Amino acid sequence: MIRAKGLTKTFPNAKIPALNQVNLEIQNGEFISLVGRSGSGKSTLLYLISTLDSASSGEVFYDQINIKDIPAEEIYQLRNKQIGFVFQFHYLIQELTAIENVLLAARKAKEHEKRKDLAISLLKEVGLEGLEHRYPSELSGGEQQRVAIARALIMEPTYLFADEPTGNLDSINGQIIIDLFEKINREKGTTIIFVTHDKEFAAKAKRQITLVNGVLAV
Amino acid sequence: MMFLSMRQLLARKKQSFLILLGITIGTAAYVAISGMMLGFQTFILDQLVNNEAHIRISAREDILTATEMKSFPGSDHIFWSIPPSGRKDSTRIEYPMGWFTKLDGDPEVAAYSPQVVAQVIFSVAKVNRTGRIIGSQFERQMKVTNIEKYMKTGSFKDMGNSGNRMIIGSKLMEQLGTRLSETVLISTGSESPQPFKIVGVFETGIKGIDETTSFISLVDAQKLRGRPSEITDIAVKLFNPNDAQIKGDHWKKSSLDKILPWQESSASILSVFKTQDIVRNSMTIAIIVVAGFGIYNILSILVNQKKRDIAILRSMGYRPGDIVQLFLNQGLILGLIGGVIGLILGNILCHVIANIEVVPGRMSGPGNKMMVSFSMLIYVKAFGIAMASSVFSSIIPARSAGKLEPMDIIRSGGQ
Repeated sequence: MIRAKGLTKTFPNAKIPALNQVNLEIQNGEFISLVGRSGSGKSTLLYLISTLDSASSGEVFYDQINIKDIPAEEIYQLRNKQIGFVFQFHYLIQELTAIENVLLAARKAKEHEKRKDLAISLLKEVGLEGLEHRYPSELSGGEQQRVAIARALIMEPTYLFADEPTGNLDSINGQIIIDLFEKINREKGTTIIFVTHDKEFAAKAKRQITLVNGVLAV
Repeated sequence: MMFLSMRQLLARKKQSFLILLGITIGTAAYVAISGMMLGFQTFILDQLVNNEAHIRISAREDILTATEMKSFPGSDHIFWSIPPSGRKDSTRIEYPMGWFTKLDGDPEVAAYSPQVVAQVIFSVAKVNRTGRIIGSQFERQMKVTNIEKYMKTGSFKDMGNSGNRMIIGSKLMEQLGTRLSETVLISTGSESPQPFKIVGVFETGIKGIDETTSFISLVDAQKLRGRPSEITDIAVKLFNPNDAQIKGDHWKKSSLDKILPWQESSASILSVFKTQDIVRNSMTIAIIVVAGFGIYNILSILVNQKKRDIAILRSMGYRPGDIVQLFLNQGLILGLIGGVIGLILGNILCHVIANIEVVPGRMSGPGNKMMVSFSMLIYVKAFGIAMASSVFSSIIPARSAGKLEPMDIIRSGGQ
C-alpha cells in the first residue's frame, strides 16, 4: 500500500507549488489513472510517490514505512525489486537488443539468467514474439514502448508507474498499451498508476484521480 | 556493468579504435624509448661500475688550514701572523695493511685489488702520449673489474705479475702507432723510462679509458715509480654495487684516506642520466596525456548522449556507483587493451632497434648492435602509465555521470 500525506512540491524559482497538500492512499492491486491538464501536477505526483523525486514537504509511506526513513541502498533495492517504470519516451538502450533491454533490472539483481524465460514470455505477452533479438532501431515506436513495458515487469514488481505511456503513440498503439495494463493488473495483480491526457484511456482504469492546479479534485 | 560498458564501446568502433591507437602508440613509444635509453644507461653504468672499482681508496688529499693549531692546548690565545697554506697530501696509502685486514674481514666486500695508479708518458719512437698506468696483480684485478670481457687481443692474465708486460687501450695503441708484441717506453717523469712489451689490447668502448689507460703488473709499476712496496690505491668490489655510497661514507668516518664510491666519481654521468630520464618520461607521458584527453573528451560526450540511459538505469535501482562504473569500465578496457597491445608493439620495436648496427664502440654492445634494455620494470611502468592515464581521464566524466539524478534528466527531457 502507498500512502501520501500532505505532499507538496515547489520547484526552485517557482512561486506556486506544483503539488499542494495532496493526501492519497493506493491499495495494492489497484488500477489507477492520473488525469488533469498540462501543469496540473500529475507527473510530479507520480514521481513523488514512485521514489524518483523528493517532496518539499509531506510524506510518502510504503506499507506504513516513511520513505524518508529508508536508507538509500534500500531505496535502490525497492526500485529494483518492487517498482517498475514506463516513461513517455521509451528510453530503451540502443546498444542492447529487445530482450537485453527487458533483462536490465534482472541483471542488476544478478537474476538475468534465471529470468530469461520470463523475459521471453513477457515479450510474447506484449505481442513481440520473434522480435527478441532486434535492436530498438529495428522496432516501431509502439513496439519499443511495449518492450519498455516488458522491461518494467521483468522483476514482477508490486507497483507499475507509467508517465504518459501512450503520449507518443497513435491511438491504435495507445489502445494496445492500455489493454496490456488492464490485462497485467487483472492477471498479475500488479498495482498500476498511469498518467494520461486521454479521457478514453483514463476511463479504462478502475479509479481515476484528477488533479487541478496541484490539488486533488474531489 | 561490464556487459553494458562493452556494448557501448563496441557500438562506437571508430572512436574506440582511435583512443586505443593513442594509448597503444603512447605505450609502445614509452617502451621503445625507455628500452633504448635504459639500454645505453645500463651499458654505461655496467662499464662504470664493473670496469672500475665500486669504491676507490686512494692516498689522502688535504689542504692546510688556519684551524690546524686548534688541537694545541691554549690555541685560543695563539694567532697566525701568516696563515699556513699548501697541501699535506700523500702519494701513497699510509697503512695499507690495516685496509687489507679490514677488507678481508668485511662480509660485504667481494674482492679488492691493491694498485699503483700513476700519470705517465708513453713513447714509441718520436711519438709521445700522456696517460696513466694501473699497476695491479692480475688475479685480484680480474676479480674487481670485468676487464677480461673487454680484451680485444690476448688475455689479461698475459700481463703476469712481473716482466714488464703491458695491456694497452686500443685507441692509445693506435695513437702511438704501435701494435701487439712491440715495445712502449713508459716514464713517470721522475724516473728513467722503462720498456714494456704489449701483450694484450682492451677496448671498453669508452674513449676516455681506451685512449689513456694501460695495465701493468703491480711490481713493475712500483719499480717504475722507484718506490717498491708502495701502493696508491685500493680498488674495492662490493657484492652489491648500490651499497657503495653508504659503505664509502661509513669508511670516511674512520680514515684520512680518500674514499670515492663510484656514485661520486660518476656523479656528472649520473646527472646526465637523470636529465635523460626526465626528458624520456616527459615525452612519453605527453603522448599518453594526449590519449588521456581523447578518452576524457569521448566519455564526456558519451555521458551527455547517454543521459536517458542513466535515468532509466537509476529508475531500475542502479546505484550512482554503478553508473560511475559503467563509464569508468570503458576507460579501463581501453587502457588495458591499448596498454597490452602497446607493450607487445614496444617489445617488437625494441627487438628491431636491438638489431640495428652502429659504429663500433659507440652505444654498441656485443656485435656492434644497439644496446636495448628489456627490463621488466619498463613494461610494468608503461602499463601502469597507460592504466593510470585511462583511469584519470575517465574518472571525471564517470563521476559526473554518477551524480546525475534521474528526475533532473527526465525533467530536462533527457537532454
